[in-house]
Amino acid sequence: MFDYLEKQLPKLIMAPTAIAMLVCMYGFIGWTAVLSFTKSRMLPQWDFVGWQQYERLFANPRWHVALDNLLVFTLLFIIIALLLGLMLAILLDRNIRNDGALRTIYLYPMAVSFIVTGTAWKWILNPGLGIEKMVRDLGFTDFEFRWLVDPDMAIYTIVIAAVWQSSGFVMAMFLAGLRGVDDSLIKAAQIDGASTFRTYWHVILPVMRPVFFGAVVILSHIAIKSFDLVQSLTGGGPGYSSDLPATFMYTHAFSRAQMGLGAASAMVMLAGVMAIIVPYLYSELRGKKS
Amino acid sequence: MKSLSTSQRHYKVLFITILVLFALVYLAPLYVMLTTSFKGIEEIRSGNILALPETLNVSAWTKAWSSACTGGDCYGLAPYFWNSIRIVLPAVFISTVIGALNGYVLSQWRFKGSNFLFGALLFGCFIPFQVILLPMAMLLAWLGLANTVPGLVLVHVIYGVAFTTLFFRNYYVGIPTELVRAARLDGAGFFAIFRHVFLPLSTPIIVVSVIWQFTQIWNDFLFGVVYSGPGTQPITVALNNLVNTTMGGKEYNVDMAAAVIAALPTLVVYLVAGKYFVRGLTAGAVKG
Amino acid sequence: MGSIQIQQLTKFFGDTQVLKGIDLDIKDGEFLILVGPSGCGKSTLMNSIAGLEDVSSGDILIDGVNVTDLSPKERDIAMVFQSYALYPTMSVSRNISFGLEMRKVPKAEIEKTVADVSQLLQIEHLLDRKPSALSGGQRQRVAMGRALARNPRVFLFDEPLSNLDAKLRVEMRTEIKKLHKRLGTTIVYVTHDQVEAMTLADRIAVMKDGQVQQFGTPYEIYNNPANRFVADFMGSPPMNFIECVVLDDKLVIESQGEKFELQVAHGEIVRQAGLETVILGIRPEMMTEPKPHVMGALVHSIPMQIDVIEPMGPDTIAFGQWNGVEVQARLSPEAGVEAQTKGSICLQVDTSKAVLFDTFSGVRLDA
Repeated sequence: MFDYLEKQLPKLIMAPTAIAMLVCMYGFIGWTAVLSFTKSRMLPQWDFVGWQQYERLFANPRWHVALDNLLVFTLLFIIIALLLGLMLAILLDRNIRNDGALRTIYLYPMAVSFIVTGTAWKWILNPGLGIEKMVRDLGFTDFEFRWLVDPDMAIYTIVIAAVWQSSGFVMAMFLAGLRGVDDSLIKAAQIDGASTFRTYWHVILPVMRPVFFGAVVILSHIAIKSFDLVQSLTGGGPGYSSDLPATFMYTHAFSRAQMGLGAASAMVMLAGVMAIIVPYLYSELRGKKS
Repeated sequence: MKSLSTSQRHYKVLFITILVLFALVYLAPLYVMLTTSFKGIEEIRSGNILALPETLNVSAWTKAWSSACTGGDCYGLAPYFWNSIRIVLPAVFISTVIGALNGYVLSQWRFKGSNFLFGALLFGCFIPFQVILLPMAMLLAWLGLANTVPGLVLVHVIYGVAFTTLFFRNYYVGIPTELVRAARLDGAGFFAIFRHVFLPLSTPIIVVSVIWQFTQIWNDFLFGVVYSGPGTQPITVALNNLVNTTMGGKEYNVDMAAAVIAALPTLVVYLVAGKYFVRGLTAGAVKG
Repeated sequence: MGSIQIQQLTKFFGDTQVLKGIDLDIKDGEFLILVGPSGCGKSTLMNSIAGLEDVSSGDILIDGVNVTDLSPKERDIAMVFQSYALYPTMSVSRNISFGLEMRKVPKAEIEKTVADVSQLLQIEHLLDRKPSALSGGQRQRVAMGRALARNPRVFLFDEPLSNLDAKLRVEMRTEIKKLHKRLGTTIVYVTHDQVEAMTLADRIAVMKDGQVQQFGTPYEIYNNPANRFVADFMGSPPMNFIECVVLDDKLVIESQGEKFELQVAHGEIVRQAGLETVILGIRPEMMTEPKPHVMGALVHSIPMQIDVIEPMGPDTIAFGQWNGVEVQARLSPEAGVEAQTKGSICLQVDTSKAVLFDTFSGVRLDA
């Protein structure tokens, strides 16, 4: 009897996690899916209305603003963070042996919460007293920098803050990848007469493809989930010009008593994440097996 | 060593200059937060955002800590700071313990379906939490844990375990299974092997897990804003309320002092154990 | 005490059957070697004895008690692993004492055991070190010390020497044999090295594809192999296998364009079977330079053209061709030198220990 228990112990240990996962991840996803097909507003109610919430969602101009913003934000954020991170990593890799201090500086924003980041950049980008005033004080009295209050530009302030927060992380990933590249590979390329630039472009960067994909997946994941940063930096404004799906969902589900609509928007977000994550995980796990 | 040619040396100087300039840019927001927090409100309005404060004025700090208004009440950030502590400590501890045991099972005591379980859990690291927000709110209400600290602890544990399990599993998978076999023949059971063989090996990964969970939960805003009530809000929610409370004139110095207070614990952890912090970040990307 | 009976043991991993009905009767105090190519199931069999793996069917009895469903710790077995599996965070002395600690042995007794074992294995000066500070050979000793300290009924050794360099391996081999002689405890020892098997074992179980091909003393296995696989696996240089045409009760060898008739011990069996061809199995040491004192009906003289000569030191291996297949003969160093210069040699072939196999199935014909 005791022996039987001992044998089942590994399963017993995993059971709470398995149950919590089943209920609180997959069960809840299912629950949200069901909610998205109901008329629920303040409280959940179980009148099924088919795809009506999704139709409302995609007829809602605010949702389209959120989607457009997500596209702009994600693309700019990923591209800039990748380029910046890669550049810093390459410069650090070859030129400075003792890079502890610099690396610490590039990476510290990652330790800070998005709320703090948003608060800080909100102050720096403050139209009256921030960068605008600084440049005007330098003598450029006509200088204008009011992206934070400009509906067309507000989303770019989020890009700036997000890049500041996450590019150091990309740098760390690339640096780890670069330092992991086999030295003999670089030597072979140099013996073959390749210039430094060509060595990087043709030899080192291709080896780092997995790091590159890993970084893209994580950055796009951060982008789609972005909520805190928008809340603290622009609050989705001016108006709803800098809304993202995450803030849209929160606003409708919790402030505007549009539970069904909120659930539908959450499901669309999930679909977006899955479209990126599933192929990535699939190739990662499969690649490990072979 | 071959000495560098002149052009190489020029490039090197250029590259290092670029690196240092970027470092200054990355530091600028922290610098601005700190300097602003020590300035008086008049100095802020008339002066330059990059200028050093004329005097070290700590009144903004005391106000941010103990009397600034965060939404409805005006007790400063202090009560919320302690709320965050009360949420973070148990949540970090519980999720790390569960993650360690899970990782131990998933790497050393595999059973039929355990790999599938791990895959399913791994997926949980990536779901956008918006998709579980509504049902979780209902579950918490049903459990009577809505707007409570234990409720927030529960939420953080449930969704943190996916990460801690990943950390420990990937760490323990590198330990040969023969160790478990040897210990079993020596007469040690499941827990004795964990305690005597695995735990003494685990210091680095425990540090990684604790730091990761600490920063994640301390910095969390989404769960905090959705599942906390007036008395149980974590510091991120309070900070956001403080900054967006528009009673009287905007006090940027108080905002900045409050932001630094909210950022301080995780920054300290980062400075003390940065190596492990980076490991946790990259562990999410490089799965094994 | 430590006798082991294994009865009709089978084991499936998914759809593949890795143990196909194993029967072994291991006597108390016996040194048993499980040998076979990788993937033959020998490690699985050992893990089943240890209780580290569940079996699909069949029984394992230790001292007459059925232990098939007992956990490893209840079987009173100690094991030495190929990778040593020393606990990395524990000192050498705690590595040795951990098993006793887990069994709640009194402290004074533990200390005495550690002292005794470390003296026996000459590792007293290492007791405070961590495994990472030890050399390969030292780790090997500590791993054995951990097993010895428990004073179990049975020792299991899973390829314990394969991570050591060649010289150390030979040294430790002798040491293990001495240890067994001294302790008299039953040992089950897995290896893929047939030299280790021959030198150490009281009895050898040769395994292939999840089945025991032959179970016997090293002498039996070497001189009286049950089938072609066993004959081929045991012995270095390996046994020669020559397909021969049967002529009445004799075998025909063709060399350098001439035909020679070879008389074998069990010629009448071949005749009765009415086979056209058989495989002659003959070990290289039975094919030598002429030795005048060896005579008899089973001693023949057959020439061979030399392809390659490989001096080994104590003797020299000569490679040539008979019946179109490569054969190896074992010459004295002097004969080797002579054969090299002449390019050929007239071999003395003694078929008294030669064995015959069916051409197609490899089954032994003359046993």
